[in-house]
Amino acid sequence: MEPLPRLGYGLGLRPIYYEEILSTRPAVDWFEIISENYMIPGGRPLAMLERVRRDYPIVMHGVSMSLASTDPLDFDYLAELKALAERMEPAWISDHVAWTGVHGLNLHDLLPIPYTREALAHVVERIKRVQDFLKRRLVVENASTYIAFKGAEMTEWEFVAEMAERADCLLLLDVNNVFVASFNHGFDANVYIDAVPAGRVAQFHMAGHTNKGTHRIDTHDQPICEEVWKLYGRARRHCGDVSAMIERDDNFPPFAELLAELQRMRDIDASLSAQASLGEPPRSAA
Amino acid sequence: MKLAELQALFQSAILAGDETDAQLIEEILPKADESRETLLGVYVNAYSLRLTEYLDEDYPALRAYLGEKEFRALVKAYIAANPSKFRNARWFSNPMPEFMQESAKWRAKRRAIGIAQFERALTDAFDAADASAASLEALASFPPEEWPELAFSFHPSLHLLQVAKGTLDAYVAATAEDEETRKRLAQIRATACEGTEAAAVWRAEGDLSYRGLEDDERLALNEAIAGKSFGEICQLVAFQDESQPAVERLAQFLVNWFSEGLVAGVAKATCD
Repeated sequence: MEPLPRLGYGLGLRPIYYEEILSTRPAVDWFEIISENYMIPGGRPLAMLERVRRDYPIVMHGVSMSLASTDPLDFDYLAELKALAERMEPAWISDHVAWTGVHGLNLHDLLPIPYTREALAHVVERIKRVQDFLKRRLVVENASTYIAFKGAEMTEWEFVAEMAERADCLLLLDVNNVFVASFNHGFDANVYIDAVPAGRVAQFHMAGHTNKGTHRIDTHDQPICEEVWKLYGRARRHCGDVSAMIERDDNFPPFAELLAELQRMRDIDASLSAQASLGEPPRSAA
Repeated sequence: MKLAELQALFQSAILAGDETDAQLIEEILPKADESRETLLGVYVNAYSLRLTEYLDEDYPALRAYLGEKEFRALVKAYIAANPSKFRNARWFSNPMPEFMQESAKWRAKRRAIGIAQFERALTDAFDAADASAASLEALASFPPEEWPELAFSFHPSLHLLQVAKGTLDAYVAATAEDEETRKRLAQIRATACEGTEAAAVWRAEGDLSYRGLEDDERLALNEAIAGKSFGEICQLVAFQDESQPAVERLAQFLVNWFSEGLVAGVAKATCD
Protein backbone atom coordinates (compact mmCIF):
# COMPACT_ATOMS: atom_id res chain seq x y z
CA MET A 1 0.00 0.00 0.00
CA GLU A 2 1.00 3.61 -0.60
CA PRO A 3 2.59 5.30 2.42
CA LEU A 4 0.37 7.93 4.01
CA PRO A 5 1.23 11.54 3.22
CA ARG A 6 2.88 13.80 5.84
CA LEU A 7 0.27 16.48 6.27
CA GLY A 8 1.98 18.73 8.78
CA TYR A 9 0.03 20.53 11.52
CA GLY A 10 -3.76 20.36 11.68
CA LEU A 11 -6.79 21.30 13.71
CA GLY A 12 -10.19 19.76 14.26
CA LEU A 13 -12.82 21.26 11.95
CA ARG A 14 -15.67 22.41 14.18
CA PRO A 15 -18.80 24.37 13.12
CA ILE A 16 -18.03 27.31 15.40
CA TYR A 17 -14.93 28.07 13.33
CA TYR A 18 -16.39 27.54 9.81
CA GLU A 19 -16.80 31.20 8.94
CA GLU A 20 -13.39 32.23 10.26
CA ILE A 21 -11.65 29.40 8.44
CA LEU A 22 -13.37 30.17 5.16
CA SER A 23 -12.88 33.93 5.39
CA THR A 24 -9.27 34.00 6.66
CA ARG A 25 -7.82 30.78 5.18
CA PRO A 26 -5.61 30.32 8.27
CA ALA A 27 -2.14 28.80 8.16
CA VAL A 28 -3.30 25.34 9.13
CA ASP A 29 -1.94 22.50 7.03
CA TRP A 30 -4.98 20.23 7.26
CA PHE A 31 -8.24 19.63 9.13
CA GLU A 32 -9.59 16.57 10.87
CA ILE A 33 -13.36 16.05 10.83
CA ILE A 34 -15.54 13.94 13.08
CA SER A 35 -16.83 11.60 10.37
CA GLU A 36 -20.27 11.04 11.91
CA ASN A 37 -21.04 14.78 11.88
CA TYR A 38 -21.01 14.64 8.08
CA MET A 39 -22.75 11.30 7.61
CA ILE A 40 -25.98 13.16 6.86
CA PRO A 41 -28.00 13.68 3.67
CA GLY A 42 -26.97 17.30 2.92
CA GLY A 43 -27.24 20.88 4.08
CA ARG A 44 -24.83 23.38 5.59
CA PRO A 45 -22.37 21.02 7.33
CA LEU A 46 -21.56 19.15 4.11
CA ALA A 47 -21.52 22.39 2.10
CA MET A 48 -19.04 23.91 4.56
CA LEU A 49 -16.89 20.80 4.55
CA GLU A 50 -16.76 20.81 0.75
CA ARG A 51 -15.63 24.43 0.77
CA VAL A 52 -12.93 23.72 3.33
CA ARG A 53 -11.91 20.62 1.40
CA ARG A 54 -11.20 22.71 -1.71
CA ASP A 55 -8.35 24.43 0.14
CA TYR A 56 -7.15 21.90 2.72
CA PRO A 57 -6.43 18.19 3.00
CA ILE A 58 -8.77 16.48 5.45
CA VAL A 59 -8.68 13.36 7.59
CA MET A 60 -11.81 11.49 8.69
CA HIS A 61 -11.83 10.62 12.39
CA GLY A 62 -14.72 8.47 13.57
CA VAL A 63 -16.15 7.77 17.00
CA SER A 64 -18.67 5.00 16.26
CA MET A 65 -16.86 2.14 14.54
CA SER A 66 -16.90 0.29 17.86
CA LEU A 67 -13.92 -1.84 16.91
CA ALA A 68 -13.85 -3.63 20.28
CA SER A 69 -17.59 -4.32 20.55
CA THR A 70 -18.74 -7.93 20.63
CA ASP A 71 -21.72 -6.94 18.48
CA PRO A 72 -21.40 -7.72 14.77
CA LEU A 73 -19.65 -5.04 12.70
CA ASP A 74 -22.18 -2.53 11.41
CA PHE A 75 -21.73 -2.66 7.64
CA ASP A 76 -24.46 -0.06 7.03
CA TYR A 77 -22.37 2.36 9.06
CA LEU A 78 -19.21 1.31 7.23
CA ALA A 79 -20.92 1.76 3.85
CA GLU A 80 -21.94 5.29 4.82
CA LEU A 81 -18.42 5.98 6.02
CA LYS A 82 -17.02 4.68 2.76
CA ALA A 83 -19.43 6.84 0.74
CA LEU A 84 -18.34 9.93 2.66
CA ALA A 85 -14.71 9.00 2.06
CA GLU A 86 -15.32 8.63 -1.67
CA ARG A 87 -16.84 12.10 -1.70
CA MET A 88 -14.28 13.87 0.51
CA GLU A 89 -11.13 11.92 -0.36
CA PRO A 90 -9.54 12.05 3.09
CA ALA A 91 -5.85 11.36 3.52
CA TRP A 92 -6.90 8.54 5.88
CA ILE A 93 -9.68 7.27 8.13
CA SER A 94 -9.25 6.71 11.85
CA ASP A 95 -11.19 5.41 14.85
CA HIS A 96 -10.48 4.09 18.34
CA VAL A 97 -9.45 1.04 20.34
CA ALA A 98 -12.80 1.08 22.12
CA TRP A 99 -16.39 -0.06 21.98
CA THR A 100 -19.51 2.11 22.00
CA GLY A 101 -22.27 -0.38 22.78
CA VAL A 102 -23.63 -3.90 22.45
CA HIS A 103 -27.04 -5.47 21.74
CA GLY A 104 -27.70 -2.92 19.00
CA LEU A 105 -27.35 0.09 21.29
CA ASN A 106 -24.93 2.97 21.17
CA LEU A 107 -23.82 4.70 24.36
CA HIS A 108 -22.06 7.49 22.45
CA ASP A 109 -18.85 7.06 24.41
CA LEU A 110 -15.50 5.36 23.91
CA LEU A 111 -15.64 2.56 26.44
CA PRO A 112 -12.69 0.62 27.88
CA ILE A 113 -11.71 -2.99 27.29
CA PRO A 114 -9.64 -5.44 29.31
CA TYR A 115 -6.25 -5.94 27.66
CA THR A 116 -6.62 -9.68 27.24
CA ARG A 117 -5.63 -12.17 24.53
CA GLU A 118 -9.32 -12.66 23.76
CA ALA A 119 -9.93 -8.91 23.28
CA LEU A 120 -6.77 -8.57 21.20
CA ALA A 121 -7.76 -11.35 18.80
CA HIS A 122 -11.25 -9.87 18.54
CA VAL A 123 -10.07 -6.33 17.76
CA VAL A 124 -7.41 -7.52 15.31
CA GLU A 125 -9.96 -9.57 13.38
CA ARG A 126 -12.36 -6.63 13.18
CA ILE A 127 -9.72 -4.14 12.05
CA LYS A 128 -8.76 -6.55 9.27
CA ARG A 129 -12.38 -6.86 8.14
CA VAL A 130 -12.88 -3.10 8.21
CA GLN A 131 -9.70 -2.58 6.19
CA ASP A 132 -10.86 -5.14 3.63
CA PHE A 133 -14.22 -3.38 3.35
CA LEU A 134 -12.85 0.16 3.15
CA LYS A 135 -10.00 -1.00 0.92
CA ARG A 136 -7.54 1.10 2.87
CA ARG A 137 -5.45 0.85 5.98
CA LEU A 138 -7.20 2.02 9.10
CA VAL A 139 -5.50 4.37 11.55
CA VAL A 140 -6.39 3.31 15.09
CA GLU A 141 -6.20 5.54 18.16
CA ASN A 142 -5.48 4.71 21.79
CA ALA A 143 -8.45 5.93 23.86
CA SER A 144 -8.49 7.62 27.26
CA THR A 145 -9.61 5.31 30.04
CA TYR A 146 -10.71 5.87 33.63
CA ILE A 147 -10.82 2.29 34.83
CA ALA A 148 -8.60 -0.73 34.30
CA PHE A 149 -9.72 -4.33 34.55
CA LYS A 150 -8.32 -6.99 36.86
CA GLY A 151 -8.40 -9.52 34.06
CA ALA A 152 -5.79 -7.68 31.93
CA GLU A 153 -3.06 -9.98 30.60
CA MET A 154 -0.83 -7.24 29.18
CA THR A 155 -0.26 -3.52 29.34
CA GLU A 156 -2.13 -1.14 27.06
CA TRP A 157 1.02 -0.38 25.05
CA GLU A 158 1.72 -4.08 24.56
CA PHE A 159 -1.87 -4.50 23.39
CA VAL A 160 -1.69 -1.58 20.96
CA ALA A 161 1.68 -2.61 19.53
CA GLU A 162 0.63 -6.22 18.95
CA MET A 163 -2.73 -5.10 17.56
CA ALA A 164 -1.06 -2.86 14.99
CA GLU A 165 1.38 -5.59 13.98
CA ARG A 166 -1.17 -8.37 13.64
CA ALA A 167 -3.88 -6.26 11.97
CA ASP A 168 -1.29 -4.45 9.84
CA CYS A 169 -2.99 -1.17 10.66
CA LEU A 170 -1.51 2.23 11.42
CA LEU A 171 -1.70 4.11 14.70
CA LEU A 172 -3.00 7.46 15.80
CA LEU A 173 -0.99 8.19 18.93
CA ASP A 174 -3.07 10.44 21.17
CA VAL A 175 -0.42 11.90 23.45
CA ASN A 176 -2.99 13.40 25.81
CA ASN A 177 -4.76 10.04 26.09
CA VAL A 178 -1.47 8.37 27.02
CA PHE A 179 -0.94 10.97 29.73
CA VAL A 180 -4.53 10.72 31.04
CA ALA A 181 -4.35 6.91 31.13
CA SER A 182 -0.92 6.97 32.80
CA PHE A 183 -2.22 9.27 35.52
CA ASN A 184 -5.43 7.30 36.01
CA HIS A 185 -3.71 3.91 36.10
CA GLY A 186 -0.39 4.85 37.64
CA PHE A 187 2.03 3.85 34.91
CA ASP A 188 4.95 5.77 33.40
CA ALA A 189 3.77 7.55 30.25
CA ASN A 190 7.35 7.62 28.95
CA VAL A 191 7.45 3.83 28.95
CA TYR A 192 4.25 3.79 26.87
CA ILE A 193 5.57 6.30 24.33
CA ASP A 194 8.89 4.47 23.98
CA ALA A 195 7.09 1.18 23.36
CA VAL A 196 4.91 2.47 20.53
CA PRO A 197 5.97 0.97 17.17
CA ALA A 198 7.15 4.25 15.66
CA GLY A 199 7.01 3.05 12.08
CA ARG A 200 3.27 2.50 12.34
CA VAL A 201 2.35 5.92 13.77
CA ALA A 202 0.60 8.00 11.12
CA GLN A 203 -0.69 10.80 13.30
CA PHE A 204 -0.54 12.47 16.71
CA HIS A 205 -3.47 13.88 18.62
CA MET A 206 -2.96 16.61 21.18
CA ALA A 207 -5.69 17.96 23.44
CA GLY A 208 -6.51 19.37 26.84
CA HIS A 209 -8.20 17.50 29.67
CA THR A 210 -9.78 18.09 33.07
CA ASN A 211 -7.88 17.39 36.26
CA LYS A 212 -10.24 16.02 38.93
CA GLY A 213 -7.45 15.53 41.45
CA THR A 214 -7.60 11.78 41.82
CA HIS A 215 -8.20 11.22 38.12
CA ARG A 216 -8.17 13.06 34.82
CA ILE A 217 -10.89 13.17 32.20
CA ASP A 218 -10.34 13.58 28.47
CA THR A 219 -12.66 16.55 27.93
CA HIS A 220 -10.97 18.42 25.05
CA ASP A 221 -12.18 21.66 26.63
CA GLN A 222 -8.92 23.08 28.01
CA PRO A 223 -5.57 24.22 26.65
CA ILE A 224 -2.94 21.50 26.41
CA CYS A 225 -1.19 21.17 29.78
CA GLU A 226 2.57 21.34 30.31
CA GLU A 227 2.94 17.63 31.11
CA VAL A 228 1.35 16.73 27.80
CA TRP A 229 3.57 19.20 25.91
CA LYS A 230 6.57 17.52 27.49
CA LEU A 231 5.30 14.10 26.49
CA TYR A 232 4.72 15.41 22.96
CA GLY A 233 8.42 16.19 22.66
CA ARG A 234 9.23 12.62 23.61
CA ALA A 235 6.66 11.23 21.17
CA ARG A 236 8.07 13.41 18.39
CA ARG A 237 11.62 12.25 19.07
CA HIS A 238 10.45 8.64 19.09
CA CYS A 239 8.16 8.73 16.04
CA GLY A 240 9.75 11.39 13.84
CA ASP A 241 7.92 13.41 11.21
CA VAL A 242 4.29 12.32 11.47
CA SER A 243 1.21 14.50 11.00
CA ALA A 244 -0.09 16.12 14.16
CA MET A 245 -3.21 17.97 15.17
CA ILE A 246 -5.01 19.55 18.13
CA GLU A 247 -8.53 18.55 19.16
CA ARG A 248 -10.83 21.06 20.81
CA ASP A 249 -14.47 20.07 21.34
CA ASP A 250 -15.88 22.36 24.02
CA ASN A 251 -15.25 25.66 25.80
CA PHE A 252 -14.12 26.94 22.43
CA PRO A 253 -11.50 29.71 22.58
CA PRO A 254 -10.88 32.32 19.89
CA PHE A 255 -9.42 30.53 16.87
CA ALA A 256 -6.17 32.44 17.37
CA GLU A 257 -5.56 30.53 20.61
CA LEU A 258 -5.67 27.23 18.75
CA LEU A 259 -3.34 28.65 16.12
CA ALA A 260 -0.97 29.65 18.94
CA GLU A 261 -1.02 26.08 20.31
CA LEU A 262 -0.33 24.81 16.81
CA GLN A 263 2.60 27.22 16.57
CA ARG A 264 3.98 25.87 19.82
CA MET A 265 3.90 22.42 18.28
CA ARG A 266 5.82 23.69 15.25
CA ASP A 267 8.34 25.44 17.52
CA ILE A 268 8.97 22.28 19.54
CA ASP A 269 9.54 20.33 16.36
CA ALA A 270 11.83 22.99 14.92
CA SER A 271 13.86 22.94 18.11
CA LEU A 272 14.11 19.15 18.04
CA SER A 273 15.17 19.22 14.40
CA ALA A 274 17.83 21.81 15.13
CA GLN A 275 19.18 19.74 18.00
CA ALA A 276 19.22 16.64 15.83
CA SER A 277 21.05 18.38 12.99
CA LEU A 278 23.67 19.70 15.41
CA GLY A 279 24.11 16.21 16.75
CA GLU A 280 23.15 17.29 20.24
CA PRO A 281 21.67 14.76 22.59
CA PRO A 282 17.88 15.19 22.76
CA ARG A 283 16.69 17.60 25.44
CA SER A 284 13.26 18.48 26.62
CA ALA A 285 11.94 20.92 24.05
CA ALA A 286 8.56 21.56 25.56
CA MET B 1 -14.98 -12.94 32.47
CA LYS B 2 -15.50 -13.10 28.68
CA LEU B 3 -15.44 -9.83 26.76
CA ALA B 4 -19.09 -10.13 25.67
CA GLU B 5 -20.21 -10.74 29.24
CA LEU B 6 -18.17 -7.82 30.55
CA GLN B 7 -19.55 -5.47 27.90
CA ALA B 8 -23.14 -6.51 28.65
CA LEU B 9 -22.55 -5.88 32.34
CA PHE B 10 -20.88 -2.53 31.70
CA GLN B 11 -23.66 -1.38 29.39
CA SER B 12 -26.35 -2.41 31.88
CA ALA B 13 -24.67 -0.33 34.58
CA ILE B 14 -24.52 2.72 32.33
CA LEU B 15 -28.12 2.39 31.19
CA ALA B 16 -29.28 1.93 34.78
CA GLY B 17 -27.20 4.90 35.93
CA ASP B 18 -25.64 2.60 38.51
CA GLU B 19 -21.94 2.98 39.31
CA THR B 20 -22.20 0.56 42.24
CA ASP B 21 -22.99 -2.71 40.47
CA ALA B 22 -21.12 -5.19 42.65
CA GLN B 23 -20.36 -7.72 39.92
CA LEU B 24 -18.87 -5.05 37.67
CA ILE B 25 -16.98 -3.32 40.47
CA GLU B 26 -15.36 -6.67 41.23
CA GLU B 27 -13.89 -6.71 37.70
CA ILE B 28 -12.29 -3.26 38.07
CA LEU B 29 -8.75 -2.84 39.35
CA PRO B 30 -8.71 -0.90 42.64
CA LYS B 31 -6.98 2.49 42.68
CA ALA B 32 -5.23 3.68 45.83
CA ASP B 33 -6.63 7.21 45.99
CA GLU B 34 -10.07 6.84 44.44
CA SER B 35 -13.00 4.48 44.73
CA ARG B 36 -13.86 2.24 41.81
CA GLU B 37 -17.44 3.53 42.01
CA THR B 38 -16.26 7.10 41.38
CA LEU B 39 -14.19 6.01 38.40
CA LEU B 40 -17.00 3.92 36.91
CA GLY B 41 -19.20 6.94 37.60
CA VAL B 42 -17.19 8.93 35.04
CA TYR B 43 -18.72 6.71 32.35
CA VAL B 44 -22.15 6.51 33.97
CA ASN B 45 -22.44 10.28 34.38
CA ALA B 46 -21.00 11.06 30.95
CA TYR B 47 -23.75 8.99 29.35
CA SER B 48 -26.66 10.98 30.77
CA LEU B 49 -24.83 14.31 30.42
CA ARG B 50 -24.08 13.68 26.77
CA LEU B 51 -27.60 12.59 25.85
CA THR B 52 -29.07 15.48 27.83
CA GLU B 53 -26.87 17.85 25.86
CA TYR B 54 -28.16 16.44 22.55
CA LEU B 55 -31.77 17.01 23.63
CA ASP B 56 -31.03 20.50 24.98
CA GLU B 57 -29.49 21.42 21.64
CA ASP B 58 -32.35 20.08 19.54
CA TYR B 59 -35.32 21.28 21.62
CA PRO B 60 -34.53 24.79 22.98
CA ALA B 61 -38.06 26.12 22.40
CA LEU B 62 -39.64 23.07 24.02
CA ARG B 63 -37.37 23.64 27.01
CA ALA B 64 -38.41 27.30 27.26
CA TYR B 65 -42.09 26.43 26.85
CA LEU B 66 -42.15 23.67 29.46
CA GLY B 67 -39.85 25.39 31.91
CA GLU B 68 -36.67 23.92 33.35
CA LYS B 69 -38.21 21.53 35.88
CA GLU B 70 -40.69 19.95 33.51
CA PHE B 71 -38.21 19.77 30.62
CA ARG B 72 -35.65 18.02 32.86
CA ALA B 73 -38.31 15.45 33.81
CA LEU B 74 -39.10 14.92 30.13
CA VAL B 75 -35.43 14.54 29.20
CA LYS B 76 -34.86 12.04 31.98
CA ALA B 77 -37.89 9.99 30.98
CA TYR B 78 -36.91 10.11 27.30
CA ILE B 79 -33.35 8.96 27.93
CA ALA B 80 -34.57 6.11 30.14
CA ALA B 81 -37.09 4.95 27.54
CA ASN B 82 -34.98 5.49 24.40
CA PRO B 83 -31.47 4.08 24.64
CA SER B 84 -29.77 5.17 21.44
CA LYS B 85 -29.70 2.75 18.54
CA PHE B 86 -27.94 5.23 16.31
CA ARG B 87 -24.26 5.31 15.36
CA ASN B 88 -24.74 8.99 14.69
CA ALA B 89 -25.93 10.98 17.72
CA ARG B 90 -27.69 13.31 15.27
CA TRP B 91 -30.68 10.96 15.21
CA PHE B 92 -30.99 10.30 18.94
CA SER B 93 -33.46 13.10 19.60
CA ASN B 94 -35.70 12.45 16.59
CA PRO B 95 -38.41 10.27 18.20
CA MET B 96 -39.17 12.87 20.89
CA PRO B 97 -42.62 13.89 19.51
CA GLU B 98 -43.73 10.25 19.28
CA PHE B 99 -42.42 9.58 22.76
CA MET B 100 -44.54 12.45 24.09
CA GLN B 101 -47.61 11.34 22.14
CA GLU B 102 -47.31 7.79 23.48
CA SER B 103 -46.65 8.79 27.07
CA ALA B 104 -49.58 9.14 29.48
CA LYS B 105 -47.80 11.99 31.20
CA TRP B 106 -47.15 14.06 28.09
CA ARG B 107 -49.81 13.20 25.53
CA ALA B 108 -52.27 15.85 26.76
CA LYS B 109 -49.71 18.62 26.30
CA ARG B 110 -50.62 19.14 22.67
CA ARG B 111 -48.87 22.44 22.18
CA ALA B 112 -45.66 21.12 23.72
CA ILE B 113 -45.87 18.16 21.33
CA GLY B 114 -46.45 20.63 18.50
CA ILE B 115 -43.29 22.53 19.44
CA ALA B 116 -41.36 19.24 19.56
CA GLN B 117 -42.68 18.34 16.09
CA PHE B 118 -41.78 21.76 14.80
CA GLU B 119 -38.25 21.70 16.22
CA ARG B 120 -37.66 18.22 14.85
CA ALA B 121 -38.78 19.43 11.42
CA LEU B 122 -36.25 22.26 11.68
CA THR B 123 -33.49 19.79 12.56
CA ASP B 124 -34.50 17.49 9.72
CA ALA B 125 -34.68 20.35 7.23
CA PHE B 126 -31.25 21.59 8.32
CA ASP B 127 -29.37 18.58 6.97
CA ALA B 128 -31.87 17.16 4.47
CA ALA B 129 -30.58 16.23 1.04
CA ASP B 130 -29.55 19.05 -1.27
CA ALA B 131 -31.46 20.15 -4.37
CA SER B 132 -31.51 23.28 -6.47
CA ALA B 133 -34.65 25.37 -6.21
CA ALA B 134 -36.61 25.81 -9.44
CA SER B 135 -36.84 29.47 -10.45
CA LEU B 136 -39.93 31.45 -11.27
CA GLU B 137 -38.56 31.62 -14.80
CA ALA B 138 -38.91 27.85 -14.99
CA LEU B 139 -42.61 28.24 -14.24
CA ALA B 140 -42.94 31.18 -16.61
CA SER B 141 -41.45 29.13 -19.43
CA PHE B 142 -44.78 27.26 -19.62
CA PRO B 143 -47.66 29.16 -21.27
CA PRO B 144 -50.65 29.67 -18.91
CA GLU B 145 -52.81 27.23 -20.87
CA GLU B 146 -50.35 24.47 -19.97
CA TRP B 147 -50.38 25.20 -16.21
CA PRO B 148 -53.21 22.75 -15.47
CA GLU B 149 -50.95 19.96 -16.74
CA LEU B 150 -47.96 20.94 -14.62
CA ALA B 151 -46.75 18.80 -11.73
CA PHE B 152 -44.02 19.63 -9.27
CA SER B 153 -41.25 18.12 -7.23
CA PHE B 154 -40.27 19.76 -3.97
CA HIS B 155 -37.09 20.44 -2.06
CA PRO B 156 -36.16 17.36 0.03
CA SER B 157 -36.09 19.53 3.15
CA LEU B 158 -39.79 20.48 2.89
CA HIS B 159 -41.92 19.23 5.79
CA LEU B 160 -45.63 19.91 6.19
CA LEU B 161 -46.87 19.88 9.75
CA GLN B 162 -50.29 19.83 11.33
CA VAL B 163 -49.71 20.90 14.91
CA ALA B 164 -51.64 22.22 17.89
CA LYS B 165 -52.93 25.77 17.53
CA GLY B 166 -50.47 28.32 18.86
CA THR B 167 -47.40 26.20 18.19
CA LEU B 168 -45.74 28.68 15.84
CA ASP B 169 -46.46 31.63 18.12
CA ALA B 170 -45.02 29.69 21.04
CA TYR B 171 -41.91 28.81 19.03
CA VAL B 172 -41.37 32.45 18.02
CA ALA B 173 -41.80 33.65 21.62
CA ALA B 174 -39.59 30.90 23.04
CA THR B 175 -36.70 31.62 20.71
CA ALA B 176 -37.00 35.43 20.59
CA GLU B 177 -33.96 37.45 21.51
CA ASP B 178 -35.97 40.37 22.88
CA GLU B 179 -37.53 40.28 26.33
CA GLU B 180 -40.93 41.65 25.24
CA THR B 181 -41.54 38.84 22.75
CA ARG B 182 -40.33 36.23 25.21
CA LYS B 183 -42.86 37.46 27.76
CA ARG B 184 -45.63 36.35 25.40
CA LEU B 185 -44.69 32.75 26.09
CA ALA B 186 -46.40 32.84 29.48
CA GLN B 187 -49.59 34.17 27.87
CA ILE B 188 -49.52 31.52 25.17
CA ARG B 189 -48.91 28.84 27.79
CA ALA B 190 -51.97 30.05 29.73
CA THR B 191 -54.18 29.97 26.64
CA ALA B 192 -56.29 26.86 26.12
CA CYS B 193 -55.05 24.74 23.24
CA GLU B 194 -57.91 24.04 20.87
CA GLY B 195 -57.73 23.12 17.21
CA THR B 196 -54.73 22.80 14.93
CA GLU B 197 -52.66 24.87 12.56
CA ALA B 198 -50.51 23.97 9.59
CA ALA B 199 -46.96 24.97 8.87
CA ALA B 200 -44.31 24.39 6.25
CA VAL B 201 -40.63 24.05 7.18
CA TRP B 202 -37.89 23.95 4.56
CA ARG B 203 -34.37 25.07 3.69
CA ALA B 204 -33.84 27.68 1.01
CA GLU B 205 -30.34 28.61 -0.17
CA GLY B 206 -28.92 26.93 2.93
CA ASP B 207 -31.10 28.81 5.43
CA LEU B 208 -34.04 27.41 7.37
CA SER B 209 -37.46 28.90 6.61
CA TYR B 210 -40.96 28.31 7.92
CA ARG B 211 -44.39 29.82 7.82
CA GLY B 212 -47.97 29.02 8.68
CA LEU B 213 -50.38 27.77 6.03
CA GLU B 214 -54.09 28.46 5.62
CA ASP B 215 -56.25 25.38 5.15
CA ASP B 216 -56.57 25.74 1.38
CA GLU B 217 -52.84 26.22 0.87
CA ARG B 218 -52.05 23.26 3.11
CA LEU B 219 -54.45 21.13 1.07
CA ALA B 220 -53.00 22.37 -2.23
CA LEU B 221 -49.40 21.86 -1.11
CA ASN B 222 -50.20 18.41 0.22
CA GLU B 223 -51.69 17.40 -3.12
CA ALA B 224 -48.82 18.95 -5.05
CA ILE B 225 -46.32 17.01 -2.96
CA ALA B 226 -48.33 13.86 -3.71
CA GLY B 227 -47.73 14.52 -7.42
CA LYS B 228 -51.11 15.91 -8.45
CA SER B 229 -51.15 18.32 -11.39
CA PHE B 230 -52.06 21.95 -10.92
CA GLY B 231 -55.39 21.34 -12.70
CA GLU B 232 -56.27 18.47 -10.36
CA ILE B 233 -55.35 20.60 -7.34
CA CYS B 234 -57.57 23.45 -8.56
CA GLN B 235 -60.50 21.08 -8.93
CA LEU B 236 -59.98 19.62 -5.48
CA VAL B 237 -59.64 22.95 -3.70
CA ALA B 238 -62.68 24.38 -5.54
CA PHE B 239 -64.65 21.34 -4.45
CA GLN B 240 -63.57 21.80 -0.83
CA ASP B 241 -64.30 25.53 -0.67
CA GLU B 242 -66.61 26.99 -3.29
CA SER B 243 -66.55 30.46 -1.75
CA GLN B 244 -62.96 31.18 -2.87
CA PRO B 245 -61.93 32.27 -6.34
CA ALA B 246 -59.78 29.18 -6.32
CA VAL B 247 -57.73 29.41 -9.49
CA GLU B 248 -56.37 32.90 -8.90
CA ARG B 249 -55.54 32.13 -5.28
CA LEU B 250 -53.90 28.84 -6.20
CA ALA B 251 -51.89 30.51 -8.93
CA GLN B 252 -50.59 32.92 -6.29
CA PHE B 253 -49.70 29.97 -4.01
CA LEU B 254 -47.78 28.44 -6.87
CA VAL B 255 -45.85 31.63 -7.53
CA ASN B 256 -45.05 31.88 -3.80
CA TRP B 257 -43.81 28.29 -3.65
CA PHE B 258 -41.40 29.02 -6.48
CA SER B 259 -40.22 32.36 -5.12
CA GLU B 260 -39.70 30.92 -1.62
CA GLY B 261 -37.56 28.05 -2.86
CA LEU B 262 -39.96 25.19 -2.03
CA VAL B 263 -40.09 23.81 -5.57
CA ALA B 264 -37.21 21.80 -6.98
CA GLY B 265 -38.69 20.86 -10.35
CA VAL B 266 -41.64 21.45 -12.69
CA ALA B 267 -42.74 19.41 -15.67
CA LYS B 268 -45.88 18.51 -17.58
CA ALA B 269 -47.59 15.64 -15.79
CA THR B 270 -47.39 12.32 -17.58
CA CYS B 271 -50.60 10.43 -18.26
CA ASP B 272 -51.18 7.21 -16.31
